[in-house]
Amino acid sequence: MTKLAAPGPAARPEQTLAWNMTLLAHHELAGFGGLGEGMAMQQTRDGRRILWLAHESAPKNFTGVDVTDPRNPKVVVQTDLPHAKMRSNSLDVVGDVMAVAYQTSGVNIQPAGFDLFDVSVPESPKRISHFDASGPHSRGVHAVWFVDGETVHLAGGAADFEPTNPKDDQFYRIVDVRKPSQPEEVGRWWYPGTRKGDDAPPPKRLPPQFDMGYRAHNTNVFPQRPDRAYVGYIDGGAWVLDISDRSRPKPVASWQYSPPFNGFTHTVLPLFSRDLLIVSDECVLDDGADWPKLVWVLDNRVETNPVPIGTFPAPPYDAFAKRGGRFGAHNLHENLPVPTSWRSDSIIVGTFFNAGVRAYDVSDPFQVKEVAYFVPGAPKLSPVGAIQLNDCFVDDRGLVFTVDRFVGGLYILEMNV
Amino acid sequence: MARDPLAGKLPVTVITGFLGSGKTTLLKHLLTHPGMDRAALVINELGEVGIDHDLLQVSSEQMTLLSNGCLCCTVRTDLQETLRELFAQRRAGAVIDFDRVFVETTGLADPAPVLQTLATDTLLSDYYRLDCVATLVDAVNGMTQLDTQPEAVKQAAVADRLLLTKTDLAAPDAVEALQARLRALNPHALFIIATHGQVDPALLTDVGLRNARPDAARLARWLGETGEGGGYLGQRLAPGVKHDPAIKSFALVFDRPFAWETFSAALDLVSRLRGPDLLRVKGLVNIAGERGPVVVQAVQHIFHPTVTLEAWPSDDRRSRLVFITRNIPRETVEQLFAAVGALNA
Repeated sequence: MTKLAAPGPAARPEQTLAWNMTLLAHHELAGFGGLGEGMAMQQTRDGRRILWLAHESAPKNFTGVDVTDPRNPKVVVQTDLPHAKMRSNSLDVVGDVMAVAYQTSGVNIQPAGFDLFDVSVPESPKRISHFDASGPHSRGVHAVWFVDGETVHLAGGAADFEPTNPKDDQFYRIVDVRKPSQPEEVGRWWYPGTRKGDDAPPPKRLPPQFDMGYRAHNTNVFPQRPDRAYVGYIDGGAWVLDISDRSRPKPVASWQYSPPFNGFTHTVLPLFSRDLLIVSDECVLDDGADWPKLVWVLDNRVETNPVPIGTFPAPPYDAFAKRGGRFGAHNLHENLPVPTSWRSDSIIVGTFFNAGVRAYDVSDPFQVKEVAYFVPGAPKLSPVGAIQLNDCFVDDRGLVFTVDRFVGGLYILEMNV
Repeated sequence: MARDPLAGKLPVTVITGFLGSGKTTLLKHLLTHPGMDRAALVINELGEVGIDHDLLQVSSEQMTLLSNGCLCCTVRTDLQETLRELFAQRRAGAVIDFDRVFVETTGLADPAPVLQTLATDTLLSDYYRLDCVATLVDAVNGMTQLDTQPEAVKQAAVADRLLLTKTDLAAPDAVEALQARLRALNPHALFIIATHGQVDPALLTDVGLRNARPDAARLARWLGETGEGGGYLGQRLAPGVKHDPAIKSFALVFDRPFAWETFSAALDLVSRLRGPDLLRVKGLVNIAGERGPVVVQAVQHIFHPTVTLEAWPSDDRRSRLVFITRNIPRETVEQLFAAVGALNA
């Protein structure tokens, strides 16, 4: 079948593509529509649902959006960062407490770490404490995982940590926040060889164009297995750690597939009822330069030997690779163990930058099927000329919230799957 | 949460009818109807339909986007390939985000192969579901075709929508006689008078079950229990109406839940022995241990994969099955289910 004469009726990046996802609302967030990968939903005591969003870059820190009526989202608060050499990027909410990550553009810049906020009155978040992760070799905290109200698991640097390669500054840290005013580190783990003084030799770098660092990204711990941390370690692949003794995390298994692939393991999502791990990459280069960035399915029946058995069907290269900006996998909805989060061990929703947000049916792990997608048209003033969906969150109503990395803001979708 | 087995699949309407029944006229009408926005229309030959150049938006060898928003596509090799490619093009943004499909049957216009394709091609069934069979019957020649062509009877029997064409050219009493005959043949179909192809496409879509959570009204409509089929005519078979003695149309109701083995064995048996005479079966079945009714659909020997609905829509949990058969009487089917049930007890 021949293609329609270019440009086809929907081949243009400004054109929306949709299957089984319907747009309920779009909010540009007062002109600050560039969002990172922190999305969490709070159920307030007065019955509202507030979606908290971390911004991709300065000047904004985070925004709270009332999404009680998903067709009529309203910004209730938008906060600023102290200076432009930092970003928040990541946040999580438990009850009325929110953890917000702070990463800096270089080492030795403050503040770098995370804040805890009391958001019981969403319109006026009050800072409870600051956990300092700045240092002479640290860029602070990139991502936080905070789902039980007691512990913040994070990817970040530390004042006392000197990496063997400056790109490897962020590792896995466990911080006890049971006393929210006094967060305290209780454990850490880093890729062997990435800290000066390690017995192990420094790991072999990926080719220069793909060398993004041996550092932690998502550090997920679920109540089903409180003694396990599921860690995407960027160029170091996927790791499962035994954290039964939190002061001494120990590797249970790891899976390294780069090279031949191009690194940047982002998320390791266990599907406990299925004995599966879903592992997502992050695309970090424009125009398909680091293609393919995939979502992988691993058989995890023997947890010391996770075996890759397939990948999610990727969006078509021809349609998206040169459409503008990044093209490929990034964040997944992570089945957060909180009441406001949708949880499914058979349908996985993820964002793919210019290929939009997509839902997959993994009920047959050997033959994953795409079941829905939504690719918004290029937002107004988009610097890359295409949408760049960065993160997604699915709430307990099954509504999909997804955000653009640069300018598009928040998109609220209904799924029909 | 798991995937809904019915939701999120693009509905397909199959348009069938004998040569000369007015299919081309209907297709021409659809190509200009505003209700066809975002519909894909798969036809056999573009030249036959003839598209006015004023209506073209974008065109290629095989696909044409019309000014009413309808994507017209011709079959190249076979329907499977065409539908698969059509979805691939949709996914790549190379064609519009069509949300329903109309397919013209080919050749002898036997709808069974198309229905078989949709029921059995696992790749296609990820994206599409059969929604409606619309059969055109020519008011001038329809009666003769029903007399002489078993295929015409089958086409009428499998229809969800019976489109009467050329009613303006036939005598009013002949039209009535034809309607009465078709009504006796297929009491569950909705009649639509389609003079000069004038049909609202909305009547040809959203007929099947859209998800596994249908409400009671939709289920009843789907099973033909609401008298929708009498919408236009509303009359019962009057004495003296010509009918097809071989064609039996009946509904069976079973009070007790079935064991799955019993039900599937009975249906399998009748399908193996008399598949060609099993023109159409559809129903809701109470299978012991299932959370909701099991949806059964078949055309001849082609059974769609069964789907269990999320819940019973009302307190009435009896199994209800509608049959249109050729020379298989109601009693035979009833006894068969009873006998297999007894064997399996």
